[in-house]
Amino acid sequence: MIAYIVQLARKPGLSIDENTPLVSSGLIDSMALVDLLLKLEDLTNRRIPAGKVQPKDMDTVAKMFATAERVGKPRR
Amino acid sequence: MLKFDNLIAALEAAAENSPFITFWVDEDERETVTFGEFRHRARLHAAVLREQGIDSGDRVVILMPQSITAMVSFAAAMMLGAVPAFLAYPNFKVDPAKYRSGLAGVTANLSAKAVVIAPDFRNEMLDCVALGAETKLIRPGNADKREHVVTVPESTQIAPERLAFIQHSAGTTGLQKGVALTHAAVLGQIEHLAHALRIDPARDRIYSWLPLYHDMGLIACFMLPMVCHVPVVMQSPIDWVMQPESMLQIITESKCTLAWLPNFAFQFVPRRTPPKRWADYDLSSLRLVINCSEPVRASSMREFQTAFHIASGVLQSSYAMAENVFAVTQSEIDAAAPNTLWIDGQQYRTAHRIVPVPQEAPGAVSFTSSGRLLPNQQLRILSDSGGIAADDSVGEIAIQSDCLFTGYYNRPDLTAEAFLDGWYRTGDLGFLFQGELYVVGRKKDLLIVGGENIYPQDIEEIVGAHPAVHDGRAIAMGIYNPEIGTEDIVVVAEVEKYEMLAQSSEIEQQIRRSIVAALGIAVKKFFVVPPKWIVKSTAGKPARSATREKLLQEHPELSPEAINL
Repeated sequence: MIAYIVQLARKPGLSIDENTPLVSSGLIDSMALVDLLLKLEDLTNRRIPAGKVQPKDMDTVAKMFATAERVGKPRR
Repeated sequence: MLKFDNLIAALEAAAENSPFITFWVDEDERETVTFGEFRHRARLHAAVLREQGIDSGDRVVILMPQSITAMVSFAAAMMLGAVPAFLAYPNFKVDPAKYRSGLAGVTANLSAKAVVIAPDFRNEMLDCVALGAETKLIRPGNADKREHVVTVPESTQIAPERLAFIQHSAGTTGLQKGVALTHAAVLGQIEHLAHALRIDPARDRIYSWLPLYHDMGLIACFMLPMVCHVPVVMQSPIDWVMQPESMLQIITESKCTLAWLPNFAFQFVPRRTPPKRWADYDLSSLRLVINCSEPVRASSMREFQTAFHIASGVLQSSYAMAENVFAVTQSEIDAAAPNTLWIDGQQYRTAHRIVPVPQEAPGAVSFTSSGRLLPNQQLRILSDSGGIAADDSVGEIAIQSDCLFTGYYNRPDLTAEAFLDGWYRTGDLGFLFQGELYVVGRKKDLLIVGGENIYPQDIEEIVGAHPAVHDGRAIAMGIYNPEIGTEDIVVVAEVEKYEMLAQSSEIEQQIRRSIVAALGIAVKKFFVVPPKWIVKSTAGKPARSATREKLLQEHPELSPEAINL
C-alpha cells in the first residue's frame, strides 16, 4: 500500500509510514481517495460498501486497514 | 405565465403521498420523504426558526451536511419569507480557525440573522463557527418530534419579486459572492428548463450527488424537483467521490431517468469502476444525462457512453451559472448527441476565428456544443474592447435574461464590475455557430476543479503568507488533466533568496498543509522557483497568464492535451 501511495502522489523518494497523514496533509486529494479504496479492496480481498467510509477513515495506512476490517464485507 | 407565485406555493401544491426525496445513506440504509412529510417537517422547522426570531427577509445560513434535514431547513426559512443560503460543510481536513474566519466573512456580508446547524452537529465542530453580534446559532434539535405546528404565514404572502434565497458562485469561502435570486427568477428558469427537458413527474426520477451549495445541486436537483413534483434520489458528494461506482448502483436500483454531471464525472466513473464490473449495472432507465458546469468534451462523454452502453440521445449538454439561476442553453434532447464542430486550428489560435473544416483536415480542432438558448435568454459575444464581436470569432460570453440575478448581495462593487450596459459578463470565452453556443475556456482566472469554482486569489494568499515566499509572489492556476477530465491545481511559489531553494521540499509541504487546512483542497503540482522567476505585469503584479505560459514552456509535460479531442 505504501509503495502504491508513493506512486499515486507522484513523488519518488517520498517517505511515509503507516501513520503518516495523507489527506489532511494535502498529499492525497479527495479525487484520489477512490484509488486508495480500490487498492485496499484488492489487498484485503474485501468489499468496502459505499457510504460507510469517510475521508478521515482513510487518512493513514493504519486507519485504512482498520476501516477495511470494520466495514468490509466478503466479496461478491 | 407562471403557475405559482413563489417556490413555497409550488411545494404546497404537491400531492401529499407523492414521493419526493430518497437519501441514499449507504447500501443498507435509505431515508425517504414524501412531499407531504417534507412539508410537515419544514413547518416544524419553520416554527423553531420563528421562535428564534427569524422573520421575513432575514438571511439564514444553513450549515449542514448533505441531508434531507438540510433541505427541510432551507424550505422552512423560505416558508417564513426569510432568505436561506447553503454553505459548504466543514470537512475534517479543514482547520477550524480558518473555516471560522471564512464563515464569519460570509455571515457578515449577508448580515445573517442566524446560522442553522444540524441537530447532531458535533460539539468539537463548533470551533468552526463564528458569529457576528447580530447572528444567532440555531440547532433545530428535536424539531421533528414536536407536536404543535406553529402557524407559518400563508405562501400567498410571499410576492414573486421577493428574494427567495442566495446561492454562492464559488466553493471557497474567502471571496464568496452571494447571488441573490427572486422567487420569480427561480420559477421562470425552472419553467423553461422543465419544458426544454420535457420533465414529467409520472415518469421522471432524478439522480444526484451534487452539493446543495452549487447551482447544479440546488436548482436542478432540489428546486426543480420541488416545483415540478418529481422524485429525486440523492447521495452525499463525498460518498460519491470516494466510491463513484455507487452512482451506478443507485441508478440501477432506483431506475433514475435524469441526471446532471460535470464533465470530469463522465470519465471519473468509468475509470474508477473496475471494467469487469461495468456489466453489473443497468443504466437503461436513463433518459437524459446532462454535461454541465465545465467545458463539454466529446471524448469524456464517449468514454461513459461506451462503458455503460448508454443509448444514443441520452448524453446532452448545457451551459449554466449561478448568476442566471442556472441554465442559459440546453442541447436539443431529440438529437443523438450535442453537435461537434471541427474548425481550423491555426485560425483559432492565432486570430480567434472560427473557420469550419472537415474533421480530417490537418490541424483541425473540435468543440462540442452546449446547445441553444432557452427562451428569454439573450447572448452576445464580446470582443476584447467590449464591443460585439464579429460573427465568426471567439469572445467573452455576455448574457441577459428574465432570470438574471440583480447583483451580488451587499457587494455593489462586484456587481458593477460584472455588468456592461445591462449585460452580465460571464468571464467565459465562447462562440456562436448556427445558433448554438460553444464554450471554449475562460477569460477570468477562475479554476474549475471537478465542477467547483475556486478563486486563485484564495490559494495565492495562503502561499504568499509563507515566510520563505517573496511577498505576493505566488501564482495558482488550473491546468486541464485529460486523465481525470478536469483541472489540476498547480501552484508556483517564488522564494525570497536563492539559498532557500535548498529547503524547497519542506516549504512545499508546509504550504500544502496550510492550503488543505484553510480551503480543504489539495494542490496537484507545486513548483518552488528562484527569485524573479514569476513574470510580472507592467503594474509590477504577478501576471498569471504570462507565468502560466512560461511554466508550460519549461514543463511541457504539464501541457493540457491539444484542443483536438
